[in-house]
Amino acid sequence: MKLIINGKEKELECDNVSELLDKLNLNPDVVAVELNKNIVHRQEFGNIKLNDKDRLEVVTVVGGG
Amino acid sequence: MDDKLKIGKFEFNSRLIIGTGKYADFGIMKKAHEASGAEVVTVAIRRINFDNPKENLLNFIDKNKMTILPNTAGCYTAEEAIRTARLAAEIGLPKWVKLEVIGDQKTLMPDNEETLRAAKVLVKEGFTVLPYTNDDIVACKKFEEAGAAAVMPLGAPIGSGQGILNPNNIRIVLENAKVPIIVDAGVGTASDATIAMELGADGVLLNTGVALAKDPVRMARAMKLAVESGRDAFLSGRIPKKMYASASSPIEGTLK
Repeated sequence: MKLIINGKEKELECDNVSELLDKLNLNPDVVAVELNKNIVHRQEFGNIKLNDKDRLEVVTVVGGG
Repeated sequence: MDDKLKIGKFEFNSRLIIGTGKYADFGIMKKAHEASGAEVVTVAIRRINFDNPKENLLNFIDKNKMTILPNTAGCYTAEEAIRTARLAAEIGLPKWVKLEVIGDQKTLMPDNEETLRAAKVLVKEGFTVLPYTNDDIVACKKFEEAGAAAVMPLGAPIGSGQGILNPNNIRIVLENAKVPIIVDAGVGTASDATIAMELGADGVLLNTGVALAKDPVRMARAMKLAVESGRDAFLSGRIPKKMYASASSPIEGTLK
């Protein structure tokens, strides 16, 4: 299915947010996720289903002042 | 000597808050952080880099010694800042925020109207809010009334290294403040940090002055000493300035 992750289209097969992070090789402990502008809480990563054309934001901590 | 910096429910021995941006690499940053003695480090929240997901800043921050303070840098509206603060909390960072809403791209001057709007929402949501604002008593008072745990007036524009451009404004803010005042932005060298602390600021937040110094580790140490010196000088109560000399050695008994 087609997912828009951080503004970029990706073709990925995954059921839920946990699987998505796994496929993207991301450590779930250092990210926060928005699905269609709504925050997905960490404890729900395994439960929230993903659908075709979902828009996701995956953010982390970077250097700043 | 108990002289802790208290911001909401947070307590620190160091009065220096240091950034994590603009360092040549994370290794140098970590050494600079150690040299600075800071117990709070600021970070930004951004989209993750898929090309290098394992090189994460969090691996270079000693969580036993440092409390991470997320910022909302790069936000131009209250909504963006609120969203960023919420995401930071979701990452698992402490529920506090250096609230920054910028109103002008070139000068990075704060948009106080938007910052205030965001502050009110985040305070209601239980965040400890530290707004970045102008060195203006009216703005600072409004944030205090909105429930900010500390207020952070700028010394000079972000990253400009111009020092404390208007010490009188900072002094006026300090005289009227009921919450800690942390001078944020503009600190270019050690004496700038000392001046802020001598004025009576409760702390100094800086990033570029250390990160872009030729020797960031040494500059971090200089900043640590500068903040401590300024604090001690402030607490000691300086002598008044006089027009004329006043001899330090006795006049009596001089050879004739």
